[in-house]
Amino acid sequence: MNPLQQTAAMTATAPKVNFSMLRLSRSFLFYAALVLCLTFFITPVLWMVATAFKEPGEYVSSTPSFWPSSLTLEHFQALINDGFLKRLGNTVIVAFGATAASIMLGFMAAYALVRYQFPARLDIAFLLLVLIVKLMPPIVVAIPLYGLLKDIGLLDSLFGLVLVYQLYTLPFCIWMLLGFVRDVPLEIEEAAALDNANILQRLWHIVLPLCKPGLVATSIFTLILCWNEFPFALLFLQKPSSFTLPLYISNFITENETFWGQLMGIGLLSSIPVLLFAGFIQKHLIRGFSMGLK
Amino acid sequence: MIFSNKKHLTLLLIPALLVLFIFAIYPVIQVTIYSFMEVDFSANESHFIGLQNYRDLLDDWFFTTSIQNTVQFSIVASVIQVILGILLAILFNRNFPGKRFALPVIIYPMMLSTLVCSAIWRSWYHYDFGMLNHWLGIIGVEPIEWLFNPSLALYSVILVDVWQWTPMTFLIVLAGLQSIPQDISEAARTDGANELQVLCYITLPMIKGHIMLALLLRTLDTFKIFDKVYALTDGGPGNATETMSVFVYRNGFKFFEIGLASAASVFMLAIACALSIVYATKILGDQNK
Amino acid sequence: MIKAINKLQGLKKSLTASAVALALLSTNVVAKDLVIAARDGIYGAAMEKTIANFTKSNPDVKIELLKLPYANLYEKLVISLHENSSAYDLILLDDTWATEFMKNDWLKELTDVDADFVPAALDISKYPINTGKLYSVPFVGNVEMMAYRDDLVKKHGFDGLNSWSEVVKAATVINEKEADVAGIVFRGAKGNPIVTGFLPIFWANGGKIIDDKGNVTLDSAAGLKALEQFLSLKPLAPKGVEVYNSTEVRDAIQQGKAAIAIEVWPSWVPSMDDPAKSKVVGKMNITAAPGEVAGPAPMLGIWQLGISKGAKNAETARQFLDFITSKESQKSLALDLGLPPTRSSVYTDADVVAKYRWYPSQLKALENGKPRPRIKKWKQVETVLGDYLQLALVGQMPAAQALKLAAKDIKRALRKK
Repeated sequence: MNPLQQTAAMTATAPKVNFSMLRLSRSFLFYAALVLCLTFFITPVLWMVATAFKEPGEYVSSTPSFWPSSLTLEHFQALINDGFLKRLGNTVIVAFGATAASIMLGFMAAYALVRYQFPARLDIAFLLLVLIVKLMPPIVVAIPLYGLLKDIGLLDSLFGLVLVYQLYTLPFCIWMLLGFVRDVPLEIEEAAALDNANILQRLWHIVLPLCKPGLVATSIFTLILCWNEFPFALLFLQKPSSFTLPLYISNFITENETFWGQLMGIGLLSSIPVLLFAGFIQKHLIRGFSMGLK
Repeated sequence: MIFSNKKHLTLLLIPALLVLFIFAIYPVIQVTIYSFMEVDFSANESHFIGLQNYRDLLDDWFFTTSIQNTVQFSIVASVIQVILGILLAILFNRNFPGKRFALPVIIYPMMLSTLVCSAIWRSWYHYDFGMLNHWLGIIGVEPIEWLFNPSLALYSVILVDVWQWTPMTFLIVLAGLQSIPQDISEAARTDGANELQVLCYITLPMIKGHIMLALLLRTLDTFKIFDKVYALTDGGPGNATETMSVFVYRNGFKFFEIGLASAASVFMLAIACALSIVYATKILGDQNK
Repeated sequence: MIKAINKLQGLKKSLTASAVALALLSTNVVAKDLVIAARDGIYGAAMEKTIANFTKSNPDVKIELLKLPYANLYEKLVISLHENSSAYDLILLDDTWATEFMKNDWLKELTDVDADFVPAALDISKYPINTGKLYSVPFVGNVEMMAYRDDLVKKHGFDGLNSWSEVVKAATVINEKEADVAGIVFRGAKGNPIVTGFLPIFWANGGKIIDDKGNVTLDSAAGLKALEQFLSLKPLAPKGVEVYNSTEVRDAIQQGKAAIAIEVWPSWVPSMDDPAKSKVVGKMNITAAPGEVAGPAPMLGIWQLGISKGAKNAETARQFLDFITSKESQKSLALDLGLPPTRSSVYTDADVVAKYRWYPSQLKALENGKPRPRIKKWKQVETVLGDYLQLALVGQMPAAQALKLAAKDIKRALRKK
């Protein structure tokens, strides 16, 4: 397994307990560092949450205030009335659709590549592809892709966007899954083959369950990527009714005015599903590990 | 051997290869071809002009500055993120009360939309009304020109990237730490090694692969940094934060100078490939040891 | 192993369910009758309001409105019009994009437009300018104005601001004598903002970006003088003016933190007289920017409405276009939102003038308005110029060098077709 695959598998497991008695001074240093780090990461988030509940006039006042002087749900109401849910739905379709497609195609491909008995260096080839694709400025490939989508009639469609996202997600999924599939012992499959299980049955009933931690973890990375993708969505979706959340978010930053309350409100709302998904998957992963799948 | 018939395997492989070819490889080829052409986008005409785009590119002062800015951004940001990530991972490799809640807090920035993340910081950086200068004022420090001092702006953008993406390096390094068998460091401790020695001579070398991967992923991501710059400074003030991606964006999508933009992209891809190969062989080499 | 397989059934089920949901939802695309691509902010608000009125009398028409920031709107329009896409029926375009759009034959020709529109605004809806066929209708009559604190200017002994030198002088005095009030404020942000701030000074000094023969004459002596005058404003402006855009300029004026704004657009003005937002109610004077060597040349910034070549519902689009540019609509948009009209009759309407005391001088500015150069590559020229102007403004480059390099890059851009 490569380090990222391990990371994927590890992040969700309960951290191993490492008890050792600490001297007081060292423990003070430890907590000081911890508090410092936590403060750095949490304060902007707290400000975001606080601003989402501030009265609209409060942001504009000339002395900045961190906490709201009075709470309001106005921004959230405005968002709901303005079609937030429709955009949320679009985003769910695109992000989960692209993730599902990538995981499926990537899993099949990874399996085939491993069982073809390509050398382990293939990982490197795919890593390179992942990296190159990762580095292509979306703006430039967008031009050939625009023509392509138009020709197959998928411009301004969520399905078209799901396809375009494969550009990023598929090489990544294949690379991640190669390591997990390689860890599945061939013997188990051979035993099943003796029972006349065909390749699809073996794939579905044996390899897939064994790779589940990898699949689940790969999917969370993929999902985060698709959930917040902006440039392609901006170019390939044309009508407001098919917009995804990042596009919708950009509506609140206009040239003459930034709608801070709504912007922060939507920042909060749109990150919750990903957070929930990550939490939901965590449980599955821990169980997978405790069953001793590895 | 159950796989004497490779037809099935090929069938499993084909869909992915097809999608990869259409959506990843074809655009790369297309971009490479464009880079040798003069493309009049709106009139739909193009003709071959050899290396002219590349010559124009190197003659363009904005582009050469953008190379410098990009390299600076990429190195500084990714190194800070990795160091901070290691530090955090070491902290989180111990037990402390409330750890279960601290972890989500640390990784939350990564899940935020970049637009929102940039907006938060743009507000914080505001010279007159921003939180940062407000707090500095409370402790009696002169306000700082976060986004419009040409020698500071790039670092302000780096800080935002550090805030958003250190969680990723943290996760990778933490996984590395947790994969180390405890008995090795315990043995070293019983032999009289202090914590720092254990860290430098045992722990860090063992997670070298993880650290390299974290560094690689962040180097590449920061190398194509676009959205934060776009949202925070739009390449300004002057061209102090103009990165290569911003250059590509401007020429490709504002001016529709597709040829020039493509040449700049090919240039970026070449650097990226070189970087990736160095890192990738490094990681592979370490794994094979 | 069995357990694992059992658990997998759950995953399988949820996967299947989401696949089905995906299939259902992706086919459920509702067809809309009319799709409009427009700007955000006040322009978007004006569209929304008019759409509500329009659908009241035409309940069978469904309208979908896309609101985008300036730069994104341009990108989206160019790409979709280039591909002759039918995504948008009616589009809102800046008059500086018009030459490119019309020359490329992306818009439908329009006929039967009445004579009430201000001629200077209507002329740039034609291609070639003034004489050609009409491809759009002016919708928002933006013209660049200047705003200054009448009280402060008078207090320090100035009788109005009649030339740019006088503006600099007044700003210097006010900046020195008044505590907490900067002499001047302008948009220093890269690209379009700084260029629109600079051009009136440039023109007034007799500068020309491109002369009548098509040569780039940006770095002439007049140009340099104009840029130096422009740069001399920086020490008189609030700190951070290099990144100021419209929000910051407006806030500085409304908070009473700056005395003169060299560039304001009509849609920013009403809030200066709104006691809820402004500390300078009734104190601002709004006039056309002054001249210097040459006479005053207020810059036009007309937003036009055009119908795309690929429009699916050209007839409905035209119907809506006539509705939104009618006298009634323009009057109510002006009164409710402060959107500047393009019809002479609205500017002279008694209700409108009663509300906006500066409208007569705005009409005069509009009638004498000067469009930006009618070249297809204006967008690129403007961005290049804006980049170098800002480099000069932040002090990374001397003025003469900035103009020289800008001229070089503009020449290169124009060399290509």
